[in-house]
Amino acid sequence: MVFGAMYEGIKHIFKRTFTLKYPYQKPLLPKGFRGRHILYLEKCTGCGICAWICPERCISFVQAADGKKHPQNPENRFPQYWYARCCFCHFCTDYCPTGALDYSPDYELAEYDRELLVWSPERLSKVPTNVGNYRSVFHGNKGSMGVTYEPVEKQPKT
Amino acid sequence: MANQSSTRKEDLVNKLKTRFPEAIKSSKIEGKRRITITFDKDKLLDIAQFMRDELGFDHVKGVAGVDDPTHKKIEVLYFTGSLSIPEIEDIILVLQTELARDNPTIASAVSVWESAHFHERETFEMFGVKFEGHPDLRKLLTLDNWDGPPPMLKDIKFPEMGQR
Amino acid sequence: MTTNLDQTKPPAPPITITAAKEPSTLDVSVGPQHPGSGHMRIIIRVDGDYIVSVDPDIGYVHRGCEKIAEYRTAVSNIPHLERPCIIDAIHLNWGYVLPIQELQGVVVPPRGQYISTIAAEMNRIMSHLYWLAINAGVFSGHTTIFMYAFGDRDLFIELAEMLTGARLTYSFLPPGGPRRDLPAEFQHRLLQLLGYFEKRLVEYDRIFLSNPLVIARAKGVGILKREEAIKLGLTGPVLRGSGVKYDVRKVEPYGAYADLDFEIPTFEEGDSYARFLVRFEEMKESIKIIRQALEKMPKGPIARKAPLIIPEGEAIGRVESSRGELTYMVKGDNSDKPSRVKIMNGSFRSLIAFPYLLRKVHVADMPIIYGSLDYWPLEADR
Repeated sequence: MVFGAMYEGIKHIFKRTFTLKYPYQKPLLPKGFRGRHILYLEKCTGCGICAWICPERCISFVQAADGKKHPQNPENRFPQYWYARCCFCHFCTDYCPTGALDYSPDYELAEYDRELLVWSPERLSKVPTNVGNYRSVFHGNKGSMGVTYEPVEKQPKT
Repeated sequence: MANQSSTRKEDLVNKLKTRFPEAIKSSKIEGKRRITITFDKDKLLDIAQFMRDELGFDHVKGVAGVDDPTHKKIEVLYFTGSLSIPEIEDIILVLQTELARDNPTIASAVSVWESAHFHERETFEMFGVKFEGHPDLRKLLTLDNWDGPPPMLKDIKFPEMGQR
Repeated sequence: MTTNLDQTKPPAPPITITAAKEPSTLDVSVGPQHPGSGHMRIIIRVDGDYIVSVDPDIGYVHRGCEKIAEYRTAVSNIPHLERPCIIDAIHLNWGYVLPIQELQGVVVPPRGQYISTIAAEMNRIMSHLYWLAINAGVFSGHTTIFMYAFGDRDLFIELAEMLTGARLTYSFLPPGGPRRDLPAEFQHRLLQLLGYFEKRLVEYDRIFLSNPLVIARAKGVGILKREEAIKLGLTGPVLRGSGVKYDVRKVEPYGAYADLDFEIPTFEEGDSYARFLVRFEEMKESIKIIRQALEKMPKGPIARKAPLIIPEGEAIGRVESSRGELTYMVKGDNSDKPSRVKIMNGSFRSLIAFPYLLRKVHVADMPIIYGSLDYWPLEADR
């Protein structure tokens, strides 16, 4: 009986392990992943529902400084996020009545300076570009753990 | 669970009321599985012994304190259930009583329901309720040398967290 | 509020429930800085190699969850109240919204109930894999099962990320129903994963459950008889490992459990090995439940709108979390914030088993018994 347990461990010596080499290979995050928020300045009306629902009260309102006119927002007030407090629950995104907030797969938000964790509306409106493209593939019982990660372009469409 | 009578909750309440006519102040039956009984705090041990031996409620799921400063009382609730009798194993019977807010004391139920040991310790620490007869009544969750007021009372407010 | 952090005042002496101090015993603190104790301190009184009695000293991660919950609205409480046991977040979330929905009179539509059930069973598998890796694996020294279980748990986390958007902190069930519907390829990938996971459970059995070293350490250790388990008010897999067939999913069906067909694994011996087996079999039953729920999924809306106010009244709701029966009592007073939230969870109810089981055992049996109880200190301290 002890040989059954030992065989289970020893058989992995002769199989190749797989490691996803982050940051050169990044996993493809699903649509709707709750990373940081994207603010569409042309849709936000400054109603304040996002600040009211936020459980950690990390949203406050400031004036937009991008110089453009926003006719749907007469007082020119837009949300500013404090990511040191945000718990990424995205109740604000779900409760926004005009759809001005959106999900994004951006999770690399670390900074060296604490003040840089306060994101102004203009900084929130930039759409992130560093998305990954690796996803897990099941091989049945072949391969070391039976799961490897391969680029999405090479996988058959399900 | 196939042979549950439709009046099992009323039967339990009636048995309690006939046995303790003046100690049971009121009762309420809600939904399919909830009974709330309000009783006089001096009769806790007798009622608990009767419930354990005659009715079959053999364990305590939790002991809660509720602070009510407007009516100057602290309520103590015992959530009891039965694991040994299949016909009533889905009922939660809540025993509710009122204590004076400036000196809340009640007898400890540990001699009847041993499962209430740590719950009573927590209620003692959070609300200041003294359980007489508890074998080991000391602080459980706060700091070892905390000497402030009991934290869960409504007098303790946190204004930086917003309005309550 | 005054706090006296004067360090010259000594802490309260460790008074145990059972034994008085004798000259031949020594008090040892299996302290918070210990890889095998979790976020708590267990003060053991040893006489040579035997533990005479034990005093659990909890409260190291107490943050006043119930007090803070009175300052947050009904929806804001969801990320707050799911944090005590974050590996089991859906159950803590669901147990809290059941009394709120009862007070507000909101009924979740059937498709929402099925989606909540699938998420809850996936969460049960994830929580039991965490238990297998840490409490049953690392605490007893078996680090291979730690690697295997965490590797497979990550695949379930990826699927939960596809369903809810977050890896561990779901906040998925506000009052009224789930927030999102099933994505397009979720069903196919989940069935693929379940087929892979069933083969892995056979490997776990060979390397861990049938391993003679684990059997020698866990069989006959920490025996809890049926009458004692009932008297101590234990719940969850600890109760089912002692022969009491009790599960909230059968006793008070919530979600979609009334329409699904599954068993409650129960073992009679009451030792640590029986408690290990209960959780293994529960993982297999969860796979069955998820497959049935995916087949029988109805169509229609997933959620209804819920009001913002909690009406006056008191309601009790309970679910079967991975650690036992999780009961919430919510008291409302016609405002948007609850006036009292009382949490009674499986870990706090298991605390009475520590001084009861850890008497006259070897010191080396303590991690096995502690691991088989699956005590989560954060959940018990709130």
